[in-house]
Amino acid sequence: MGFEFLVRIRRTSLMAAVIGALFTATYASYPAAIGFAAGAAWSLANLRLIEQIVTGLTGPTRSPIRAMLAILANVGLLAVGGVLLAKLPPMALAAGFTLPFVVILLKAVSLALLGSRVWAAITRSPWRAMALVGVLAVAAWFTVVPLTRAQSGDGHARVAAAGTVAGSAAAQGGHAAAGDELEEEGPSLEFDNLVTILAKANRGNALGHFLHQFEAVIFSVVVALLLCLVVWVATRDNRLVPGPFRNAVEILFEPVYDNIVDLLGPKYGPRYVPFLGSLFIYILAMNLFGIVPLMKSPTSSLNVTFALALTVFVYVQYIAITELGFLGWLHHLAGSPQSLIEWLLVPLAFPIHVLGEVAKPVSLSARLFGNIFGEDMLLAGFATLGISLMAVLHLSGLPFGLPLHFVFLFLALLSSIVQALVFALLSTVYILLMLPHEHEHEHEHGAGPVLAKEAHHPAH
Amino acid sequence: MNPPRTPKRDPSGLRSAGMLLAIPSLLLASPLVGFFLGKFVDRWLGTEPTWSIVGVVLGFIAAGREIYLIIRRVQSEEESDKRP
Repeated sequence: MGFEFLVRIRRTSLMAAVIGALFTATYASYPAAIGFAAGAAWSLANLRLIEQIVTGLTGPTRSPIRAMLAILANVGLLAVGGVLLAKLPPMALAAGFTLPFVVILLKAVSLALLGSRVWAAITRSPWRAMALVGVLAVAAWFTVVPLTRAQSGDGHARVAAAGTVAGSAAAQGGHAAAGDELEEEGPSLEFDNLVTILAKANRGNALGHFLHQFEAVIFSVVVALLLCLVVWVATRDNRLVPGPFRNAVEILFEPVYDNIVDLLGPKYGPRYVPFLGSLFIYILAMNLFGIVPLMKSPTSSLNVTFALALTVFVYVQYIAITELGFLGWLHHLAGSPQSLIEWLLVPLAFPIHVLGEVAKPVSLSARLFGNIFGEDMLLAGFATLGISLMAVLHLSGLPFGLPLHFVFLFLALLSSIVQALVFALLSTVYILLMLPHEHEHEHEHGAGPVLAKEAHHPAH
Repeated sequence: MNPPRTPKRDPSGLRSAGMLLAIPSLLLASPLVGFFLGKFVDRWLGTEPTWSIVGVVLGFIAAGREIYLIIRRVQSEEESDKRP
């Protein structure tokens, strides 16, 4: 048995553990799911350490120190296992622990089967193979349907209790709440995510309250850290011919740079690319984060979008004051009056301009929030419909739903990109409106900002 | 990242579409902001509902002005795209 086999075992076990934990969280309880995942992690770490001990003592690259360290780590792991046994449901922990062994067994059986004469005889003719698959499907149907009918009382109760609440969405790879796991303040319309699962597992204590309250903030910080990591890894690649990862990141970043410089002109563009570019990439990543199973779009919370819009508002006013001066800023807010009639109209123009400025962050944040929240609701709604249809088909005992929401994932992708673009673009336009006139010659030469004239007199 | 030599425009018109998409929310947000600011002033001065109405009217005017600017911007971009 080679090491590749062990690597494949680990990979398969890891995937099976994630899927198993999701199913356990949906159909049993959150502590059981955490126990299952912890058991699988314990078992996988144990196997890895045993592998290190064996290779450290006997392999061609033997190293007694490595073996000793692995033995010590294994002792530590045993202690961790003892703590886990005391804290988590023991049955779930044991099930998770045995998972890699089940995978090894299944792999061994499949290896034996693939090399056997029976398998060769079946796969020789595609018709014979199809007939066998058909027979197995019919057998599975007659076995599963009576079993699920027996459980359907429980299943129906869950679906009914859930109402419009999202249920399990195995097809999306995600996970959602069942009716009996609802928050105290009413049914949640969104998929359950990692933070809500942890919050429910810690219901009643300070950690649970904190997680529930700062859910969107936690996800926005996670997205920011992930982006930092991506950029850090990409910028470490300083070779003359960069690697694929850096190339991929540059493909994403270059159009952002181009667009901002194109709009603001070569003088101001590069100065504001760090802010506006980060804004676009950050919002795009946050919008798309909701599609990732067990995650949530932080932009589906008005608090996050308003914070972003407020940042833009404050930054735009700061730019205006630094570029125009305080009196110039007031002059701009008064509608940049030049003639006597315009000066006489200042009492009317000033409140209109101030209102327009204040309405900008409200409009920016409400649009982003509304679109992303609506998109998440749509996905959750159709995933729930897929689960409800399983109940109609008397298959509610099965741990997955029809993937009805699949089409809307593409819509979500499009709307995420468009909304991030709109936010960044309008922020750029707001900055452009505040900048002093660059000069019209650039426009004549075809290299300057497209709308230099409007930037000069935005109010007219 | 090296700065690009020639700025490129988005050929799909997504930018223009995005900017035009800003109009409905702006049309809604400005009168709302005007109303709430007016209501605040009304409560402060005890002149309900005068300033709320003034706020809504000014909000609509502000929204109209913003929308006018956005449409002009989109038009200018389209014109500059057509230019060789």
